[in-house]
Amino acid sequence: MDFALQLIFAGISVGAVYALIAVGLSLTFLVSRVINFGQGSLLMLTAMVMVALLGRGSAMLSAALGALGLAAILMVVVEWVAVRPVAAGQRTDTMGWVVSTLGIGILLQGFAAKFFGSQAVAFPSILFSSNDFVSLFGVRLSLQYLAVLALAVALVLLLELILRRTQWGRAVRAVAHDPELASLMAIPVRRTMLVCFVLSGLLAGVAGLLVAQIAGTVDPGFGFNLMVLGFVAAVVGGMGNTFGALAGGITLGVLEKLVGGYVSTAAEHGIAFAVLMAILAVRPQGLFGRSELLKA
Amino acid sequence: MLSRPWLALLAALAFGVAMSFGSGSALQVATFFLINVLLAHSVNLLTGYAGQISLGHAGFFGVGAYACALLTRDYGLPLPLALAAAMALASVVGYLLSFPAGRVKEFYLAMMTLGFGMIFYEVAKEWTALTGGMMGLSGVPSPSLRTLAVFGMAVGPVAYLWIVLAIVVVVTVLLHNLIRSHFGRAYCAVHVSELAAGSVGISEAATKRSAYTLSAALAGLAGGCYAPLVAYLGPDSFALSRSVEALAMTIIGGLGSLPGQVLGAALLTYLPERLQIFAEYQFMAYGAILAVFFLVLPKGLAGMFAAPPRFAKTHAVVSLEPTPIRVPHSSGEGPLLRVENITMNFAGLRALDEVSLQLERGRVLALVGPNGSGKSTLINVISGVYRPSAGRVVFKGEDIAGRKAHEVSRRGIIRTFQDPRNILHFTVRENVLLGAHRLYRHGFLGAVCNSRAALREEAVFLRRVDEMLDLGGLAELGDRVLGELPYGTQRLAEVARAAVSDPELILLDEPAAGLSDAELEKLAAMIRRLRERDLGIVLVEHHMDFLNDVVDGVVVLDSGKLIYRGDMDGMRRDPEVTAAYLGVADEESVRA
Repeated sequence: MDFALQLIFAGISVGAVYALIAVGLSLTFLVSRVINFGQGSLLMLTAMVMVALLGRGSAMLSAALGALGLAAILMVVVEWVAVRPVAAGQRTDTMGWVVSTLGIGILLQGFAAKFFGSQAVAFPSILFSSNDFVSLFGVRLSLQYLAVLALAVALVLLLELILRRTQWGRAVRAVAHDPELASLMAIPVRRTMLVCFVLSGLLAGVAGLLVAQIAGTVDPGFGFNLMVLGFVAAVVGGMGNTFGALAGGITLGVLEKLVGGYVSTAAEHGIAFAVLMAILAVRPQGLFGRSELLKA
Repeated sequence: MLSRPWLALLAALAFGVAMSFGSGSALQVATFFLINVLLAHSVNLLTGYAGQISLGHAGFFGVGAYACALLTRDYGLPLPLALAAAMALASVVGYLLSFPAGRVKEFYLAMMTLGFGMIFYEVAKEWTALTGGMMGLSGVPSPSLRTLAVFGMAVGPVAYLWIVLAIVVVVTVLLHNLIRSHFGRAYCAVHVSELAAGSVGISEAATKRSAYTLSAALAGLAGGCYAPLVAYLGPDSFALSRSVEALAMTIIGGLGSLPGQVLGAALLTYLPERLQIFAEYQFMAYGAILAVFFLVLPKGLAGMFAAPPRFAKTHAVVSLEPTPIRVPHSSGEGPLLRVENITMNFAGLRALDEVSLQLERGRVLALVGPNGSGKSTLINVISGVYRPSAGRVVFKGEDIAGRKAHEVSRRGIIRTFQDPRNILHFTVRENVLLGAHRLYRHGFLGAVCNSRAALREEAVFLRRVDEMLDLGGLAELGDRVLGELPYGTQRLAEVARAAVSDPELILLDEPAAGLSDAELEKLAAMIRRLRERDLGIVLVEHHMDFLNDVVDGVVVLDSGKLIYRGDMDGMRRDPEVTAAYLGVADEESVRA
């Protein structure tokens, strides 16, 4: 029983990070209709850069902020080079964004491999040590996992609050619905999109740092699987639905850990994707998404 | 230009000859490039034509590769049979995937196909007994190891290159024919507008199923050719990166262009090699090139180097004397169309309230009413876009309410849309030809092989299209791409598309909106020609002068209720109609 509870708790923690990735991905998807395939590399690079900055003697906080700042700037570059010129929804949709965002991802991965080495590097313990535990109802809860969970959930909730309650959040939703109409309503579409990309980069960066914290190491190939799991969480929850992403991410995390603990670690990912396909087959709009009506 | 078939064939031959003198590794890469062409064709069919994004093609590719490897290695099956089996197996997988995948769109579809690819990868990794797991599967009969034989003859790397080259040429020719047939046009139609596709009798679900099946078969064939080439299969050859690379080839080459696929495959096969001069920066250079590719070449490689694809076999008209085909109109008893007490609710809003009307053959009925009165909703109900909340739509004695749009269309009810829905990268002629979709009788084999019967049928319908283009004053624009032409032309093309489908009932939703006087005359000419054919016409229109000239009767809707039924003069005098339009019963201002 303890074992099961441990697994569930770890799953919830990891799942919250998946949700963070998912929210970042869907934020940019909603305003630009582009899936950023470079997001995984961005996760990785943020963690790598933080390690490098620490290695050069930066303080913990300034290293983290520096790495996150880089993530934000990179997303502006992504928007500028890989999304705006080839955005979906143009009259002739060439799907060029698949190639360009993928190219950015490969470029960043190559950059990390060149300058930080292609081997895994140790990620320092920022939030407690990996051996710190608290006992709750007889279950030993890792403080690291608790901190990661708290941070991830807090960020997701904060974003939801911003989207719902602020003028800017309403602008985001208007742009997501129809950029042309939004621009007629005097909403600064370009700026709204840019801010979404910056936010998405920050979310990805934080997620990268959190996962690196739990995993203890980072390597250049580290981000891709995470990004895919973030996709799954986003889809399970319904694209653009923040609480859905949280629910989707946590469901996915728990399921993975349980399968990994009781069946085999090899089956972990397979299960995640089987769930994804089953959910989409039954509810094409995701568990918490709303379907769109076709109008003739 | 590469799209000229003979030049392309010559280029293929030259490539084969040149490569035959290459070194072992050059041969290996050249054969791999050809396999990539097959894979790119496969993705292009599904993503470029049918518009279904796929991030899981490595799965189909892998099914074909493992099938071919195991069948040739363990069961000693000859290569041609093993390739056929690889295709068949992959196509079954594609067919099965099309059921869940057909239900989802864009992002969700990307994720579902990605899920499929990942599951395949995990299975290949874990099913050690079959695939060898992470250790891989070795000992596949292979040309480079001189262990491959076809019909008793040893096949070396050069011979294998020629075999794969022949397969690529045949597949490309068949695809070329397929894309120019009504099957190819159906793929594009489902991609561009599901509503338009349904309105000409194209089943969205069946079309997507066939695209998945065919695309998977091609990817399976590519995989089947890949297994002997490499002699060893490890699961990492079928990971997500292979799927993404396949999609990138297709996109870089140019979605929807066959020569583009060859170019895209060539670039992504040879570019990483050429970049080796950058040594440790190779990977970064590759990423950077992909990132800025569409900044530099916004139309892809095909947009630069190849003519845009065409979607009709226009050469059929000159080469074959058509024999006319006529679809018999069953005359039947009673009125053509009877709408009985149709009610349509949208989440609390009643758009139609117990509407009933009736239409005889050879009659033109105008459907009139203020904006939001339910005219278009009624058209949508009759044509199968909406399922009514209550009531019956009886067409030739059969209740068709709630049937899908393509089923309604196949029964002979054809409609146009309030905003014209055409395929903007088709020419005017191809768009109008789309209307004849429901009348085609020749099958898939005839279409890909350009059988005489298939060409004759195509010629018949192309003649009919030309006749309608003449009538609509579009004859000179027939070969122009529709997206570049003015709005009025797009409207007329849509009406012409409906007209060539040989309908028994035609529903025109505001066909005159936005037309110039000259265009209005052409529209009237087309409608008069339709009247001669003894079919029923329903016209939604605001343009009263235009209606005066062509209609037999009129029905007026207001707020979902039918408030008048009769002739045009009576309508002008009807107080309730006047009130609906003007709010007051002022007879004079209506007449003026």
